[in-house]
Amino acid sequence: MPSRVLVFTWLVFLFGHYGWAIWPIPRSLLTGTSPVKLSPDFVINLQGLSNPPADLASAISRTQSRLHSDSLERLVLGRGSGDAQAVEGAHLLSSLTASLQHGSPVRSIAEETTLAFDDKSESYELFIPDDRAVATLVANSTLGLLRGLTTFEQLWYDYKGTKYTLEAPIQIHDEPAFPHRGFSFDTSRNFFPVADIHRTLDAMSWVKLSILYWHIIDSQSFPLEVGAFPELSQKGAYSPEEIYTREDVNNIVAYANERGIDVIMELDTPGHTTAISAAHPEHIACAAKSPWSKYASEPPAGQLRIASPSTLSFARTLFSSVASALPGTMMSSGGDEVNLPCWEEDEETMADLVQRNITIADALNEFVQTVQGVIKEHGKTPFIKSDMVLTHKVPVVNDTVVVVWQTSEDAAAVANISLRFIHQPSNYFYLDCGAGEWLGNDILGNSWCDPFKTWQRAYSFDPYANLTTDQYALVLGGQMPLWSEQSSAENLDPIVWPRLAAGAEVFWTGSTLPDGSPRLGMNATSGTNALARLHELRYRLVDRGVKAIALQPKWCVLRPGECDLDA
Amino acid sequence: MKLVALAVFLATAYAPVQALWPLPQHIETGSSTLRLAPTFQITVAGHGVPGDLVAAASRTKQYLFGDKLERLVVGRGAVDAPSFGHAKVLSRLTLSLERGASFASVTSEAQKAPEDRDEAYHLVLPADGSAATITANSTLGLFRGLTTFSQLWYEHDNTIYTVSAPVTIQDAPAYPYRGLMLDTARNYFPVSDIKRTLDAMSWVKINQFHWHIVDSQSFPLEIPGFTDLAQKGAYSSSQVYTPNDVRDIVSYAGERGIDVMIEIDTPGHTAIIAEAHPEYVACPGATPWATYANEPPAGQLRFADAKVTDYIAKLFTAVTAMFPSKLFSTGGDELNTNCYSIDEPTQASLNATGRTLEQALDAFTQETHKALEVKGKTPVVWEEMVLVHNVTLSKETKVLVWISSANVKAVAEKGFQLIHAASDYFYLDCGGGGWVGNNPDGNSWCDPFKTWQHSYSFDPTANLTAEESKLVLGGQHLLWTEQSSPQNLDPIVWPRAASSAELFWSGPGLNISTALPRLHDVAYRMRQRGVNAISLQPEWCALRPGACDLTA
Repeated sequence: MPSRVLVFTWLVFLFGHYGWAIWPIPRSLLTGTSPVKLSPDFVINLQGLSNPPADLASAISRTQSRLHSDSLERLVLGRGSGDAQAVEGAHLLSSLTASLQHGSPVRSIAEETTLAFDDKSESYELFIPDDRAVATLVANSTLGLLRGLTTFEQLWYDYKGTKYTLEAPIQIHDEPAFPHRGFSFDTSRNFFPVADIHRTLDAMSWVKLSILYWHIIDSQSFPLEVGAFPELSQKGAYSPEEIYTREDVNNIVAYANERGIDVIMELDTPGHTTAISAAHPEHIACAAKSPWSKYASEPPAGQLRIASPSTLSFARTLFSSVASALPGTMMSSGGDEVNLPCWEEDEETMADLVQRNITIADALNEFVQTVQGVIKEHGKTPFIKSDMVLTHKVPVVNDTVVVVWQTSEDAAAVANISLRFIHQPSNYFYLDCGAGEWLGNDILGNSWCDPFKTWQRAYSFDPYANLTTDQYALVLGGQMPLWSEQSSAENLDPIVWPRLAAGAEVFWTGSTLPDGSPRLGMNATSGTNALARLHELRYRLVDRGVKAIALQPKWCVLRPGECDLDA
Repeated sequence: MKLVALAVFLATAYAPVQALWPLPQHIETGSSTLRLAPTFQITVAGHGVPGDLVAAASRTKQYLFGDKLERLVVGRGAVDAPSFGHAKVLSRLTLSLERGASFASVTSEAQKAPEDRDEAYHLVLPADGSAATITANSTLGLFRGLTTFSQLWYEHDNTIYTVSAPVTIQDAPAYPYRGLMLDTARNYFPVSDIKRTLDAMSWVKINQFHWHIVDSQSFPLEIPGFTDLAQKGAYSSSQVYTPNDVRDIVSYAGERGIDVMIEIDTPGHTAIIAEAHPEYVACPGATPWATYANEPPAGQLRFADAKVTDYIAKLFTAVTAMFPSKLFSTGGDELNTNCYSIDEPTQASLNATGRTLEQALDAFTQETHKALEVKGKTPVVWEEMVLVHNVTLSKETKVLVWISSANVKAVAEKGFQLIHAASDYFYLDCGGGGWVGNNPDGNSWCDPFKTWQHSYSFDPTANLTAEESKLVLGGQHLLWTEQSSPQNLDPIVWPRAASSAELFWSGPGLNISTALPRLHDVAYRMRQRGVNAISLQPEWCALRPGACDLTA
């Protein structure tokens, strides 16, 4: 297909910059130096699909709309005006033809998104010619087409209403390095309205994140309406308005799935469950017991009475009720930060242990086995927090996915017990670190995971660090979490964006850039490399109504590299 | 003594009137519920009532009926509903000046020199439904009283009520300068964001907007006679503060009891002037930037050049005409001497005149400050101008202490009035990580994050003698905007900046545990009014005062 001229221009790219605005950077990317602009009546055509899934048609329509409404001028001195002349004579692109590879099944994006990782395909091929009117996008799933559309949207700059690129022809072969690329979202410490979650899902889809790991409940509030136990949210939510009804959950899950994002709901148990005591005090040990610091990692104290047969039965019904209402193949039972004195000083728990002649460790094993069993019964893969297997050494089912959170050092330990895992280390990925102490009456208190994790810090994470090559297959990906003790709808966007995008590229692009060089090579986070693209993404997010923060003064943004440490 | 009286009242005052911030100097409250009549009116007694006071009364009514803040207790407003039935109803608040005082606009009162501002007021809210009153010596005092009045009320089921009637308050600030500094040069902030910030500032009785308007990265101020600076130095033609914008902001602030102190930071932090006048700037864009400046880009005024001195003096003169404030900051921080060592014109000037760099700086400072003084302005400088450089300053000059609170004593010993702005207590941008590129392990230079608690615990007269303590004008929070923009302005500033507002209004030494529930109230009320203040804690804690204290 490429002529000799094209080959020449592609070689040129190897020595210059490439694909500035694309985030995450594709696995394989070739660009030229020709200007191409979108025709005013540019259209996206679906080929070979007489009856396309509705969510694919919607995705195309959203892309069309954003191609029109995005008004990002190139981030260089003089902005778009410097490109005016090139744009004027640019070749016109009249359409993008999207099609599924021959023989591919035609399923909705939502169906593809909720498949198990092994069955999921996000790959796509995109070609933007500089000598023909039609660009092409090919994938073997509608999810792959969605990913390709997302990339396509990022190729274009605006100057006075004209949408153009200066880098045609563009050829992209792309697929993620890891299937699990997530955002863990705590909606319990403070409540987030559905609209804020929708906006977050939109932004996540723009950087090809694949998982919303929804930490929906915790000790402070129980905003999830559970079919079997509506009293949990009636009494445990902050207010009747601060509840995710079953309709809200369905709506959020559907919204996410149509955007290529699967939802893993975490019912964090047996710790972090005080809010259950508002409706069912009989199931909670040490509820709001003081001093909280003896019985919990943060106030209020309270954990499920794991030794109680009736509490076990309650937990079984709770998980079953929630699991049966959710699509997707994954669910988490949490399990972090259980506190032993809470149980040791709980008369009911001690009585149950004595009567059943078991230890707390036995009871914990039984509890985890029970809830994992329910998750499995619903055809889902159970996720669990790393301290359950590393600290408490609880036996878990073989296909359990461990969420490594305390420190990145723990990844190797989990690998050594041959469990699959995802990276969520607090020393790289926690979005809430660095905001100071939130407990009252603690003047000199600092953020427990200080300092702030900059995008550069997150970006510098190596998913394979300290692993042997035969352990690499255990890494499913990773996610950045927002714990919301000090967050709420008011600062959601600024605390999450654009930092979350760093994790998105770590786990999509993997260890190698499209030119074959290591992603974490020399000057990886320089203003001439990833930072330049991240600035573009940030400006595009702002353009689309997401309040992403400025990473640098605009002076630096317009002068790539001049605000590097060593510039 | 004021502080003693305050401490006595605290124990009783805190519980019922959770929302008052800053805490009044003297307050007595009851426990009766009082409702606000749907026809509630605010009237001002007397003739010649200034328009900005009438407008303030009208805004207060909008807040009273628009806030819709439910009380932050478990069960929220429903807990108070049983008391609504037999509650008396308030239909009127009357504002009046004390006998002998005459009306002047809130704006003109706010724009007086700090020591001449009269912000005291007396508020009485009877429990029996008879008219509430605010009296003061100035319209500025009446305005402060209105602000307090609007914090007394909660809403539940369309009833606006207080549970603390009767209320008697006698109030005045501990310090005359209570500020907030915003840097609009590293990243630009539209006028609407500044106005929203001014609104929020006024709600916590902050009276000084310190506007760090230009810096090395951009020059967004359009100055008549010097328009090339913004034309060539602003980020874009739409990221400029025109004279109209400035008038708009200054008057918006004035009507809200806030004076605007402009800062034209010189002779450092001026690289951007080179875009229009390369001949005035030494080492513009010199690399490595770290040798020639504290952050990129390098570039400083050639102050040894008489033409540059004359240019800046004239520029200052032009800027004084745009800002009615008595205060004018000329900056003076982070001057880098390497920049001048490599600058041939500067070296040539020094050689020709036989002066040292310090002598040239002294001459520059004296000349440019003289331009301010003939216009009736008092210069304000960053601390290096008195602690690092041996420049001649008028004894009226005010000094901003920023590098460290440990430097306060040294400034006071030199006899200058000072404003607390220490990075170790009041910098809002600390803790945001390193922002220069290619630096994955970079940390915020002033890490860690300064929590509201930390700022609140500041002692304005620590290590000072009684005489030196009189030099403390007040203090402020500051936002440097390398990593900030309109997108995170509200969350990074609020409610933290309210902690210094109370510190410098109510005075130091207040109880941090009883402050937190009131600060939650501030944050929740700000949100109701459209300011995106962050959550300081999970809502679980906000509804249970003290339950999330470290030792609870």
